[in-house]
Amino acid sequence: MASREEYDMTYLFNPRSRRGVHAFRLAAVMTTAVALIAAPAYAQQQAPMLDALVEDGTLPPVEERLPDNPLVVEPVDNVGEYGGTWRSALRGTGDNAWIARTVMYDGLVRYNRAWDEVIPNLAESWEVNDDATQYTFHLREGLKWSDGTPFTSADIAFAVELVQDPDYPVGGTFMTDPGNPMTVEVVDETTFTFTFENPKGLLLDELASVNGSTLVSLQKAYCSQFYPPYNPEAEQMAADEGYEGWAFMMEDKCAWGQETQRWANLDLPFMNAWVVTEPWTGTASRVVFERNPYYWKVDTEGNQLPYIDRLEMRVSESTEEITLMALNGEIDFTDRHIATVANRPIFFDGQEAGDYRLGTEVQSRSTSLVLQLNLNHPDPEMNALFNNRDFRIGLSHALNRQEIIDAVFTSQGEPFQPAPRPESQFYDEEMAKQYTEYDPELAVQHLEAAGLTETNGQGIRLMSNGEPVSIAVDVISALQPEWLDILELMQLQLAEVGIDMEINNIDRTLFYDKRPSLDFDAQVWAGDGGLDVVQEPRYYFPANAESVWAFAWQAWYNGTDPEIAEEPAEWAREQMELYDQLKASGDPAEQERLMVEILDIAKEQFPLVGVSLVPNGYYIAKNNLRNVPDEMKQAWLFPTPAPYDPFQWYFE
Amino acid sequence: MLSFLFRRLIAMVLTIWAVSFVAFAIIQLPPGDYLTSYMASLSAAGDRINPETIAALRERYGLDDPYVIQYFKWIGGIVQGDFGESFEWKAPVTDLIWGRLGNSILLEGLAILVMWLVALPIGIYAAVRKYSLGDYLATIGGFIGLAIPNFLFALVLMYLWYVYFGQTLGGLFSPDLEGSPWNLERILDFLAHAWAPVLVLATAGTAQLIRVMRANLLDELTKPYVVTARSKGLPEWRAILKYPVRVALNPLVSTIGWLLPTLVSSSVVVSVVMNLPTAGPLLLKSLTTQDMYLAGAIIMLLGILTVIGTLISDLILAWIDPRIRYGGR
Repeated sequence: MASREEYDMTYLFNPRSRRGVHAFRLAAVMTTAVALIAAPAYAQQQAPMLDALVEDGTLPPVEERLPDNPLVVEPVDNVGEYGGTWRSALRGTGDNAWIARTVMYDGLVRYNRAWDEVIPNLAESWEVNDDATQYTFHLREGLKWSDGTPFTSADIAFAVELVQDPDYPVGGTFMTDPGNPMTVEVVDETTFTFTFENPKGLLLDELASVNGSTLVSLQKAYCSQFYPPYNPEAEQMAADEGYEGWAFMMEDKCAWGQETQRWANLDLPFMNAWVVTEPWTGTASRVVFERNPYYWKVDTEGNQLPYIDRLEMRVSESTEEITLMALNGEIDFTDRHIATVANRPIFFDGQEAGDYRLGTEVQSRSTSLVLQLNLNHPDPEMNALFNNRDFRIGLSHALNRQEIIDAVFTSQGEPFQPAPRPESQFYDEEMAKQYTEYDPELAVQHLEAAGLTETNGQGIRLMSNGEPVSIAVDVISALQPEWLDILELMQLQLAEVGIDMEINNIDRTLFYDKRPSLDFDAQVWAGDGGLDVVQEPRYYFPANAESVWAFAWQAWYNGTDPEIAEEPAEWAREQMELYDQLKASGDPAEQERLMVEILDIAKEQFPLVGVSLVPNGYYIAKNNLRNVPDEMKQAWLFPTPAPYDPFQWYFE
Repeated sequence: MLSFLFRRLIAMVLTIWAVSFVAFAIIQLPPGDYLTSYMASLSAAGDRINPETIAALRERYGLDDPYVIQYFKWIGGIVQGDFGESFEWKAPVTDLIWGRLGNSILLEGLAILVMWLVALPIGIYAAVRKYSLGDYLATIGGFIGLAIPNFLFALVLMYLWYVYFGQTLGGLFSPDLEGSPWNLERILDFLAHAWAPVLVLATAGTAQLIRVMRANLLDELTKPYVVTARSKGLPEWRAILKYPVRVALNPLVSTIGWLLPTLVSSSVVVSVVMNLPTAGPLLLKSLTTQDMYLAGAIIMLLGILTVIGTLISDLILAWIDPRIRYGGR
């Protein structure tokens, strides 16, 4: 793996990033200047707001706060200026994802801006053994938490220990995967080793994703006081404070990863560019962050990052208020909640008055709606019908996708099945486009081939038991209003070929509650996994609990819900074996080859019907906010905009 | 009078106990629980959580226990002043609701005050000068106020304010003063923010109140005791205010108890649209996420406030109207 210097070079001259190419050309001419950039020999600078604190001795000087080898970040456009407040908004409670997307994304490793490579972050290098069961990471020397104490391997080991505690359940991480138990070994202050029972080929992807923050979010010195193995009084302390047990107190005081409670405790140390100074409690109307004086990244001139002094997030249940704030120029950057298809015209027209601009966001979702017929339907007749490939092809040909695109998406997009997006290395035009042409006659041929030859008085086709084909489709329109619009058009189009569709608009708890009982005909959701094909394969094979179309099969694969788990069809079993091999392989080329095989089977079997390619979204940024790329990829595992390094954004 | 009060108090305790049972049943009615909704929201963000983790959490929160056990755990805590823990905030419910409920009472109290101050004189005027130009104007204005949904009025007001004054209306305080103690600056800041929601909340209620006052008073004005009062030479304003208005107020006073819950529930959407830190949005959110102890506490407190309000209105009625004091014997 890359040594320190190599790393700095690869990051600066990553040939896949546009800025990288530019820098590379420059480098050919100015080799000496480049040598200076590569070795951080500059006198290090800090933000003016910290000068007074250093002078009066509250803070040590900047060179003592930075690690020996700070991460050198190439700015998107140019070296920036210090200062300013980035104003944005949190949509009421439960919008911790916005903080995960702006502040929290700083794990051991991270994704590069092009989202095609895992690059060093807190860890400056790592080694993997040949069968991908052992990973050794090397942290930067001299990293410090926001309270000034050292960040070491012991903090990582503590996080693993706590997360693995059976009395302290933490969301699905690699640390608690029952199918592949792992242990951690501390080698020295900056070196530690993860050992897995089975090969773990996708570990770096998991660590580079938004979930990677869990591992580096718990300071041993602070959090261990709430943990009985380190503090025998912990249980008593929790009881005294009115908690029902130590785990409740820990969850409140020392929440992991992206949990909302992290932003409610001002004592909690962080490794992020900004630390919270006004907490996010149930009654807060804003949350404020200020720069972390111990942040461990510098720009190419040795200026300590971040550039921006403060983040101010308005807490508002009201999207109307946030919309007006943005129109009024009171939001410096956001791409959430208000950046909808319906709002685009107002925001476009308001650019001059509000002194902001709109940038492009390429969505990671592939198709705007996936019709997930329940292939594990408890009714044998429906089950046989849904598992008939001709039936699904018939439905697909019956859809007039262009009409839907024109009516719902103002003509943006193109017909598209659940398949990798054109921007992905897995893009397969045939898979994305098959059966998308609108052809009612062909649709009827396929439906008849599926045995639906007879119709009743209303023209609805009859199954072999004489019942008309009627599909109840569950949808949560509160989540995406467009889904309902699409379904209403689909309903009319399917009626033309003699298929009755009922739209069942329900609350999302009911939507989830129905799954384990298999008690639904079909559910719809958007096409996740259009860019993150390997990490989110829910529509390519029955991979996880979001593979609603084959819920009993995925239960069999994941060993969950034993009462409904069912052995999958042979093709799906083959895909599962391939994915197991993929997870076990540490070699990206081999992983890619296996994924293509899985996709080929999905293309052949055609389990799911999609509608149209999700059109580009947009972000809203004030005109004086610089170093923001004009085009971003929008995803969750790649938590936009964090991988575009907001700590190097600045105000002009 | 004392035995009247005593009987009322006993009935009150029983009612509150019944309310608690029904409140707990209602929040348990929807399918799923907090964790189902938690899983759904994670998934909407593109994230996932292990089913085993959910099962472990469900056990820790005691969500698998039978209804009766959950209920007695809950009510047992309330008797000791502990409303339980909010799942979503991982914080005691009591820390969350008092500030919000206080804002609700303050804001809605102001709205009620404005409503009464505006509506009663207009209602009296409209009844006394029946079918005059003023009566027609009051009627037209009142019906428009009644017909426009509150949230729409709020939206239009916010939009117009943004277009003509370049300001975003929203919230109850400037962010800098949100956490500060009450002082002159904060009171002025509150008034600078609160006028808009008070205006919106008071409009619909005003219209309704004008109609009720007008109709009640019209019934009374023709009664013989008014004629007698006039014929005895009482000044006109005194003849109206002293007797018929007092009787006409009767139905209004008897509904004081319902004002608070009505305002909280009717102001939910307005509070969401205008981002007001009141109890309404907290209740709405806790119901959708099935954060049952938080939702239960709010419903319970609204129930208690209603019952107390009803008691107060009973006492006032008994005081202003002797027929009620001695009635039913």
